[in-house]
Amino acid sequence: MFARAIKSIDHLNRTLGHAVAWLALAMVLLQFSVVVLRYVFSVGYVPMQEAVWHLHGLLFLLGAGYTLLSDGHVRVDVIYRDASPAYKARTDLAGCLFFVLPVCILTLFVSWDYVLRAIYDFESGIWVLERSPEFGGLPLVWAYKAVIWVFAATLALQAISMAGKALSYLLGRAATYPPDLAKGGERT
Amino acid sequence: MTTLPILLCVLMFASVCGVLVLGFPVAFTLAGIAALFAFVGAFLGVFDLGLLLAFPQRIFAVMSSEVLVAVPLFVFLGVMLERSKVAEDLLGTMSQVFGARPGGLAVSVTLVGTLLAASTGIVGATVVTMGLLALPTMMRAGYGHAFSSGSICAAGTLGQIIPPSIVLVILGDQISIAYQNAQYSKGIFAPDTVSVNDLFAGALIPGLVLVMAYLAYQAAYATLNPARAPAVKNGPDRSVSLRGLASALFAPLILIIAVLGSILAGIASPTEAASVGAVGALMLAGHRLAGARAPAIVVAALCLIMLLVLTALFDLRVQREALPVAELFAFGGAVLLAGGLALGIWSALRQTYRARDESGERVLVSVMRSTLKISAMIFVILIGATLFSLVFRGLGGDKVIEDFLQSLPGGTLAAVLLVMAVMFLMGFFLDFLEIVFIVVPIVAPILLQMEVAPGQLMHPVWLGVMMGINIQTSFLTPPFGFALFYLRGVAPDAIGTPDIYKGVIPFIGLQICVLVALWFAPELATWLPTTLYGR
Repeated sequence: MFARAIKSIDHLNRTLGHAVAWLALAMVLLQFSVVVLRYVFSVGYVPMQEAVWHLHGLLFLLGAGYTLLSDGHVRVDVIYRDASPAYKARTDLAGCLFFVLPVCILTLFVSWDYVLRAIYDFESGIWVLERSPEFGGLPLVWAYKAVIWVFAATLALQAISMAGKALSYLLGRAATYPPDLAKGGERT
Repeated sequence: MTTLPILLCVLMFASVCGVLVLGFPVAFTLAGIAALFAFVGAFLGVFDLGLLLAFPQRIFAVMSSEVLVAVPLFVFLGVMLERSKVAEDLLGTMSQVFGARPGGLAVSVTLVGTLLAASTGIVGATVVTMGLLALPTMMRAGYGHAFSSGSICAAGTLGQIIPPSIVLVILGDQISIAYQNAQYSKGIFAPDTVSVNDLFAGALIPGLVLVMAYLAYQAAYATLNPARAPAVKNGPDRSVSLRGLASALFAPLILIIAVLGSILAGIASPTEAASVGAVGALMLAGHRLAGARAPAIVVAALCLIMLLVLTALFDLRVQREALPVAELFAFGGAVLLAGGLALGIWSALRQTYRARDESGERVLVSVMRSTLKISAMIFVILIGATLFSLVFRGLGGDKVIEDFLQSLPGGTLAAVLLVMAVMFLMGFFLDFLEIVFIVVPIVAPILLQMEVAPGQLMHPVWLGVMMGINIQTSFLTPPFGFALFYLRGVAPDAIGTPDIYKGVIPFIGLQICVLVALWFAPELATWLPTTLYGR
């Protein structure tokens, strides 16, 4: 059961990460188009420039869990690099339980109102659906803010998966730690 | 202020340093410890948990920062140049041309380091690439082990200080926020601003001075110890390799000049220039991967140049009532050229998508995924560090540091020296980003209110450049410097760790000389931005 949950989490974040990676290219091409339009034809579209900013945020917020999956978050590896698998598993287990999960829960907790206020005003019962303050800007600021929730949630899920993998190694149910990333088609 | 919050601040800082070394990812360690101390502080009644409600706003500020958008674009640029082997070609051609002279291989390592630096600024990538490519060549040619490994490490760290580099974008962003805060505290409510452009301009001259110093040292070493930096025998046909050099250098140089020039001239913002650089790198990579047989890409590059000429000659604004006939034609031409450009980009995309790297992955896909991971890594650290400094301030830590720095007996000099020393030590176990994110928001607003000379406040660009070179030096310094680890990881066993240590020492000396020179002649950093932007 638990092993299957780990697999589904990894699958979710890997799929999300692979999809979101294309946003990096989209960002480059869109920003380049903005530059050509602005400097050659002297036209500027506010929504295009704002779309680039939104892509930038989506890139790192939605990619954070995937980056944790493929061990892309930088470590101070003076000790860690040459340590035993058991040491690595213990460090990762403790880090996930005491650092990543609490921080994700804290982030969800403190951002709850912040994001909701951009969507719906409970006192007056009005849908706020916050939009860009710029004239002609994108009407999606509320959705963009809500991505903070997705960020905390996907990261928390990935931390659970990572903790699970470390635990199953420590309990002797897995042969190696960290699990072979190459099998998942990943590399850092 | 009571001693309890001070104690908590010190404990918090100490435990971050202690726990980081254990090896859990930096971003989460920072955030986790901050969260822990927030709750301990609240429990002891010295921290207001309501302060944490500012956290989502800070995250949103990172999401909507106009400056930080440049970071993923620069990362894309750098990774594309690395994965498509443009960098390898450069090093190969350079060493063919310069290798025929004593010390020539070391010189080409420095020059390639400078060029790569100017486009990426990722320390690890440069050191590893050159360690794998240049080190074996240098050993075969009979270069001294210490001299070669020192040259490679030093060239690899240049990436941080020579604009446009990612760390300068981030440092610039942090310094500009700090500068505003410093002015608010002084009661100036219409503050001067300092931008990433200023820092780019400020770092250019000190960076080039460093390169010159490296080259001078290498030339002197080769003259004094010809046995350890010999000329490569049976050198290649010079006429052919000069042509090769021109063709290998031409496009990357144009790319760098275009990106850096448009930023320094104040025409484009770093973000805009970065996107042009990223598309340029994409076209270069497509051209390289197609085995230099990609007419569509060459045509597109020509279209881009003609587009620039056309823009300079004609008024192409579309939103006007009546267009003169000549401009109508020019406008039509511009549209055609833009179409040609788009076709070339499409062709480059197809080439980079089709080509596979040594692990069998599509180059374009692998570049995008690496861009995603590096960007996520950077910004999650930024978010973690934001929580850290939020809690640190909430506990009153900034006040403690301010009082301490201002009470130092040696005045400004002592304060700067102390901060620099702390950053230098942190450079032994933290990467550039963490140091900048943790230290700059806390100390820079304080330092920027201090006077360097009577009546003259410290210049933010100067402070940024000093910090940049200082951390760069720290990366070179044994036994913990980052660059040394990266090189150790790829160097053959014949090269001992003491060789690497011995080799970098002269370069550390040069770094320190430049720092001292900057102290006595701040104009090295401030002259160019003042001249360019008048501030």
